[in-house]
Amino acid sequence: MILFRAGLSAGALLLATSLGLAACGGGSDDSSSTEGADAKTLTLWHYEGPNSAMGIAWNKAIEEFKTAHPGVEVKFEEKGFEQIQQNAQMILNSDSAPDIMEYNKGNATAGLLSKQGLLTDLTEESGKRGWDKALNSSLQTTTKYDDDGIMGSGKTYGVPNYAEYVEVYYNKDLFKKYNLQVPTTLDEFTKVMDTFVQNKVTPLAVGGAEYPAQQILYTLALSKADRAWVDDYQLYKNKVDFKGPQLTYGAQTFKEWVDKGYIAKNSAGIKAEDMGVSFSQGKFPIMISGSWWYGRFVNEIKNFEWGTFLFPGNKLHPGSSGNLWVVPEKSKAKALAYDFIDITMKPEIQALLGNNGGVPVAADTASITDPKNKELIENFNKVSGEDGLAFYPDWPAPGYYDVLVAGVQGLINGSKTPDAVLSEIQKPYDENLADLGK
Amino acid sequence: MTLTANRPSATKDAPAKAVKRTNPVRFVILAALLALLLIVIAPLLIITINAVKSPADYASGGPLSLPPHLYWDGIVDFWNRVSFGEKLWNSFITSFTVAVLGVLLSVLNAYALGIGKVKGRLWFLVFFLVANLLPQEVLVYPLYFLSKEVGLYDSLISIVIIFTVIQAAFGTYLLTSVYQEFPTELLDAADVDGAGKLRTLWNVVVPVSRPTLGVLFTFFFIWTWNEFFLPLVFLVSNENQTVPVALGVLQGDRLMDVTMTSSSGLIGILPALLFFLIFQRTLTRGITAGAIK
Repeated sequence: MILFRAGLSAGALLLATSLGLAACGGGSDDSSSTEGADAKTLTLWHYEGPNSAMGIAWNKAIEEFKTAHPGVEVKFEEKGFEQIQQNAQMILNSDSAPDIMEYNKGNATAGLLSKQGLLTDLTEESGKRGWDKALNSSLQTTTKYDDDGIMGSGKTYGVPNYAEYVEVYYNKDLFKKYNLQVPTTLDEFTKVMDTFVQNKVTPLAVGGAEYPAQQILYTLALSKADRAWVDDYQLYKNKVDFKGPQLTYGAQTFKEWVDKGYIAKNSAGIKAEDMGVSFSQGKFPIMISGSWWYGRFVNEIKNFEWGTFLFPGNKLHPGSSGNLWVVPEKSKAKALAYDFIDITMKPEIQALLGNNGGVPVAADTASITDPKNKELIENFNKVSGEDGLAFYPDWPAPGYYDVLVAGVQGLINGSKTPDAVLSEIQKPYDENLADLGK
Repeated sequence: MTLTANRPSATKDAPAKAVKRTNPVRFVILAALLALLLIVIAPLLIITINAVKSPADYASGGPLSLPPHLYWDGIVDFWNRVSFGEKLWNSFITSFTVAVLGVLLSVLNAYALGIGKVKGRLWFLVFFLVANLLPQEVLVYPLYFLSKEVGLYDSLISIVIIFTVIQAAFGTYLLTSVYQEFPTELLDAADVDGAGKLRTLWNVVVPVSRPTLGVLFTFFFIWTWNEFFLPLVFLVSNENQTVPVALGVLQGDRLMDVTMTSSSGLIGILPALLFFLIFQRTLTRGITAGAIK
């Protein structure tokens, strides 16, 4: 399986380079907003399950689109994440390209395609229809890509409907059993975890083999960081000192948490899925992970009460906009695609998204009726109001995810010191900067 | 005399049989075989358990717990969500066509290389071997470009052509070595009877090597059925997709739906499993039947 994966990514890399050459010189300059308004079909792809918040909201949006455009046939196809991830460049470079599709945000995905001229520039449309005003600045970061395909500035190539952020899930029943309150500072949080350790309960469900552990380390680093540091780390504004106070605190505290028994030693080999299941089985009282679990927990946890709170004391949290709606350059119905995006940003579609366990980007909390989902969205609005989305630690460099997983695993099983881990993760980061010429 | 001679031999036989039956080594072997069997079917078993478990039961009980009641919604939902019948048909028609064409092409090639003794056949074989060893990832971009040029991108025909060639490369390699050992007496006899080259092929060579061809056919079918990467790249529209590509729909960005993935895995593997069971006898016959009779 690992070999197979490596093969796949090698193939993808090969493709990326060859397509980069092929796509050069592509891209039309005809970007009037009426282009394709008379098209009779709208081919639409996304890869969200039909029961997920996005799936439900977007189905409704398709219905509304049909009512607004009676003569147009909507050809919706549900795709696999893997298929789009592997093939987007090839598909968008062919006549089989859809008219509008969901695509991953980030430099390696939407950024790369925009650089190759495969995506339509949405800057003008976004200003005209007010999408830019609906999104705050940290959400907009992932919609804009410059000429090198690096996010944060330049033209707008996508529009997100939802957002995601990392928060703390807790088992209310276990908190009650040991008479614990929801912590509001990091100190209180530590005391809560101490109580669990004294009672022979490992407090944190952690998946060390995948993204969760590195997000905890990043969260801890963010507790000492400000927006300028995030801009430096994610958008390469200034050079980041990996031995500076932020990451040093993150790595050392993470190590401390392992030593004190907050994080089980065996969690180095646990996958994210198993972490989620162990929390939903009630084996761990606390799990620090993303809002993408929310809808699933609402449906699946029946045996105990649970709730969420933001990581205590932090103003910055890992998180970002969700995936983007993009309009391929080869779309034959661009004007219709813009109309569809506009419908997905309408308050009622946004509210529907919120009421089904998603985090809408432009929802009015008053229109969210479900109390459980209200908690999720209120927390998000708090983060968003403080401009507190700090993206994810693995974003800055290609292949950085695996570097971070290996580094944090070293911390969990005690084979590496925090200092060694920081040096280890700094190297690929700096190499990437050199590649970009920064 | 005969009586006394017979008696001791009879009493000797009985304990010998008993020893054979209670020999502890036999039990150890049996236990080891059972354990091995369990290891082999464990993944299938776990998939089956989770396929009929509701997501809530999975969340509270984990992957190894037995479902408290059978839950078929996962399978039904998945079937309707990807219109699985259509995918089954796509997979069947491509696998079947590839298997037939692949075997045909292999026979023709191997007849020329193995029996016809074409000049430079060693190099042909080396070429086919190398073609076999080439990872599909390397082929993807040229194939993508070519299929786009001839208008076969996003079409089942492209998959049929590609896999016919890929499978036939292996088939040619294998069948050539079988045909090199082909009994010359039979060929000579055909020659004496005045059969031409084509007649020798259809009336002598093919019937004699039918078990081997059966094996090739079965393998080509199952291999093509299980192919994921190239169909994923070439079959863009949902209506053209094959079973393994359709299973990929369930894989999300960060989340996976374990119970539905298990359901899909179960109904995805069943057809190939059935096919294998049906043709299993062909396989064993093909392996036991050597080239020389």
